[in-house]
Amino acid sequence: MAITVKKIDASPKMNLLERTYLREILRGLWITNRHFVVNLTRHILNLFRIKAKPGAVTIQYPEQHRGYHKRLRTAHYLAHRENDDGPRCVGCMMCETICPAKCIYIVPTEHPDPNVEKQAVKFTIDMGRCVYCGFCVEACPEDAIRMDSGRLDICSYSREGMLWDMDRLLANHHDPAPYKDEEKWLDEEF
Amino acid sequence: MWIELLTKVLIAGAVLTGILSFGGVLTWVERKQSALMQDRIGANRASILGFRLLGLFHIMTDGIKMFAKEEFIPRTDHRVLFLLAPFIAWLFSLAAFAVIPFSPELTVAGYQVTLQVANPEIGLLVAFAMMGMAIYGVVLGGWASNNNYALLGSMRATAQMISYEVALAAAAVGPLLIYRTLNMQEIVIRQGQLYNGWLPLWGIVLQPLAFLLFLVAGAAETKRVPFDLPEGESEIIGFNLEYSSMRFGAFMFTDFIEKILVACLTTTIFLGGWQVPWLADDGFRLGGALALELGPMVVWLLRLAAFGIKVCALIYVLMLVRWTLPRFRYDQLMSFGWKFLLPLAFLNIIVTAAVVLVLNL
Amino acid sequence: MSEERKMVKVTIDGNQYEVPAGTTILEAAKSVGIEIPHYCYHPGLSIAGACRMCLIEVEKVPKLQIACYMTVGDEMVIYTTNERVKRARKAMLEFHLVNHPLDCPVCDQAGECGLQNYYMLHGLYISRVRENKVKKGKKATQIGPHVMLDQERCILCSRCVRFCNEIPKTSELGMFNRGDREVVDIFPGRELNNPYSANVINLCPVGALLSKEFRFKTRVWYLETVKSVCMRCSRACNILIDYNIRRPWKNDGRRLSRLRPRYNAQVNDWWICDEGRFGFDFVDAADRLTVPLSAAGGAQAHSGWEAALETAAARLRQAASEIGDVAVLVSPRLANEALYLLKRVLAEQLPGTSVAFSSLNEHEPTQDDILRKADKNPNTTGAEFLSLTTANAEVKDHAYLLQTAKKGNLSALIVIAHNPVGLPELYGRGWSEALDKVPFKVFIGTNENETSRKADVVLPLAAFAEYDGTVTNFAGRVQLLRRAFDPLGEALAGWELLRRLGNALGGEYDFGSAGEVFDELAQKEDKFAGLSYGDIGELGVKVNG
Repeated sequence: MAITVKKIDASPKMNLLERTYLREILRGLWITNRHFVVNLTRHILNLFRIKAKPGAVTIQYPEQHRGYHKRLRTAHYLAHRENDDGPRCVGCMMCETICPAKCIYIVPTEHPDPNVEKQAVKFTIDMGRCVYCGFCVEACPEDAIRMDSGRLDICSYSREGMLWDMDRLLANHHDPAPYKDEEKWLDEEF
Repeated sequence: MWIELLTKVLIAGAVLTGILSFGGVLTWVERKQSALMQDRIGANRASILGFRLLGLFHIMTDGIKMFAKEEFIPRTDHRVLFLLAPFIAWLFSLAAFAVIPFSPELTVAGYQVTLQVANPEIGLLVAFAMMGMAIYGVVLGGWASNNNYALLGSMRATAQMISYEVALAAAAVGPLLIYRTLNMQEIVIRQGQLYNGWLPLWGIVLQPLAFLLFLVAGAAETKRVPFDLPEGESEIIGFNLEYSSMRFGAFMFTDFIEKILVACLTTTIFLGGWQVPWLADDGFRLGGALALELGPMVVWLLRLAAFGIKVCALIYVLMLVRWTLPRFRYDQLMSFGWKFLLPLAFLNIIVTAAVVLVLNL
Repeated sequence: MSEERKMVKVTIDGNQYEVPAGTTILEAAKSVGIEIPHYCYHPGLSIAGACRMCLIEVEKVPKLQIACYMTVGDEMVIYTTNERVKRARKAMLEFHLVNHPLDCPVCDQAGECGLQNYYMLHGLYISRVRENKVKKGKKATQIGPHVMLDQERCILCSRCVRFCNEIPKTSELGMFNRGDREVVDIFPGRELNNPYSANVINLCPVGALLSKEFRFKTRVWYLETVKSVCMRCSRACNILIDYNIRRPWKNDGRRLSRLRPRYNAQVNDWWICDEGRFGFDFVDAADRLTVPLSAAGGAQAHSGWEAALETAAARLRQAASEIGDVAVLVSPRLANEALYLLKRVLAEQLPGTSVAFSSLNEHEPTQDDILRKADKNPNTTGAEFLSLTTANAEVKDHAYLLQTAKKGNLSALIVIAHNPVGLPELYGRGWSEALDKVPFKVFIGTNENETSRKADVVLPLAAFAEYDGTVTNFAGRVQLLRRAFDPLGEALAGWELLRRLGNALGGEYDFGSAGEVFDELAQKEDKFAGLSYGDIGELGVKVNG
């Protein structure tokens, strides 16, 4: 197939009125002014408990959550066994191996139950290094490491604080953020 | 004599306090107004004992932040100039307020009192002169920073401010031809006339083009969007590059003060100053007949309030523009000032002069 | 074999080859570069034909044959990769995996497992087994000091059983029961404690027999490997050093993870002894000497190399010139290069120094006629070739040295990689007091010990796997020691340490690597004549002497 060149004229066609900008500026001012007045009215109505649409579309983050899709990769946690005797992790180091950021540090040891054989005694994730690719979750044969905690407030004042140890990872699951229903989420977003 | 001095000091103190407080509130207004225009809420996190008060405490926290921040002073040969520059700009911007007539004269206990610090015959020229002096703060700040980028930024700022200063003054000439005075109080009083007994002959009515030009040039003079090239901190680096802490704050605060100044000047020249339509010294008059009789004190207060409302409305418009339009490119800025604003202002002068001559006003 | 072996023509996968008559098809194929998968076959053991993985098709033979047992014949036409063979292999692999547990995540063999490798190469099927797996025996039981047995994972290839029967001839292991209940186990009341027991770990193609010491320490794919030789006795078996330096949080920061045997028909075949395999703890031990110490009138304190060598050199020169007798206790645990430089430095910078040699060390002098030698030093022969042993009349033994020291006739003493104070039953009693009479003592070694604590200057020596060099085994074979990782702390390889000491003493020794030292050694020493470092190779060279 021969190469065809299609020229696209991207410069906008403007008439004289548009080129003076005066009308456009006024239209712009009108839009922003309208938003100001409408939003102010809504705020005032809401202030006096009169039902009206909210005056702002923003979400007040720490108090309000947007709701995450359940497939969103959020902070890691380590799952417990069903009967709650210890972590599911068997220290196989698959996650540590696959991790492209090399941010997982595992030290395994012998498990008292010979049928389990192996367990992790230290399991540390450097959250500051993690790239949230989710490979560790994919690689885990025991479904022990998961990334659906719904937590995104991963922060610390020091680099050491970004090292999440095993206790923290095991405790991380107890307060999951509310997930939006998948269908609803898609409806709202798109 | 002593009482006069004391009155002047009191008036000056009142004006100064009022302007500075109003400037502080404007930082909050700017945040909230832009937030509402953009469907946001705006700064609302600062609180005292859980009370947030619509984010008003952010004015305070801004101040605390500015004072508490590390002050970095670059290695420069002009340390004194560097330290002084923000306050030069600040001082002259404030000084221009001395001639603004916030209210008419009021006779209290035999003394003529007015909320105007000084009322020289060349009041408007004083205001322009002070505004012109404020440029020095910018120039010196950029030059004393010992930083090429800051110097370039200040050169840009100077070019812009001088260019628009010309247009600003030229735009004001039209009304002055009609008013035939530079005395600020006189200018306001002249605008108290009515045409046909119903239309207040404000500057905006007589000189609508000059009003627009003056407002645009004034916005450019205050270095606000869409004319904020001198600042453009993150993108093209402005004259205040090397400033930090409260010295940076002083530059920023000067902007707000200048905004008030431009609003006050526009109000005085074009919006009838403290004039309230159809309000004479003794009350509202419609068609020459007294409709509602009011005491002199009430009239004075109404007129003071009218000035404040006009200034607020102008500031609202200026901020509306600031949060609606994108920034000009530098060449656009210059050609707009020299090739559009200034010729229009000259045209306005010529036409006005001709009309004034022909009609022998 | 004295006469030329008869060659036969065979066709393997369509190509004609000439191979010696009498070899098995598997070996013949291997010799021409064709790998036939196998589990039970091992060139060092008898043939069992148990695993059936090596099935191949031979033309005019109706059934598939096992390549490990059938020998090549003239004009034989063999197919190793046709559809029939592939199908058979897949089926055999499926059989092996029917009852094999899916516990690869916790299995130390994962990554070097025959089942995993062949599954990826020849299997890749979807499991058809719907029944429960037959569970055999217990998980992970310890059957000897070094070996863990997991019967579930066993594929019954019987390599381990044959090894115990044929190599150490101790026969601790056997196959029990039949059919899908068949297991490999240790005979009742026995323990897998023969001196070569850990070889079954490497022999086992799956994770049934695993190392107790290496268990759960790391994963095999984290390891890097160099080819080296063992330094635990004078045989110097060829080994592979597996080390981990990229993940220091594993195994408490130990860098050396494990040793594995490396095939060398001239030295150790496929095996190494347990003493050598597990005798590397000192390399990452807490008592390693990592910095030069000097005790200028008091306790030993950290000093830089410059300062320590200056002190040592000044005191040694003073002792040699003013008072008289300086002595050196030479160790055959040094590589050839270090021994040679020691000899040269002593002759040129401290002439008149009396040299004493001791081949004793702390290890029990175990020996047998398989691999282990009673001389637990790797380089006694090297020292002998360099005239540093008592075979040279000028070289004294440690008993003479002890007597001289006791009499107070020594003004300075250099002890290299020996511990006479800590091991009085080997070196004789009274060393502690005798050392107190020596005014100046230099200790050169890898780990802190009773002797090092008495020294005035302690110079840290790089340990096994931390330096390049050569050692000469009991039979006069020169083999390469390879550096796996950097010396701990500021420790230096023997040749580098002695080079710097020689320079501090006023000489000019300019070598950039162990290879340069060896090449000079080969020129100057008759026994090593004609050798060069680059020619030694992986399997070593036998010295003419």
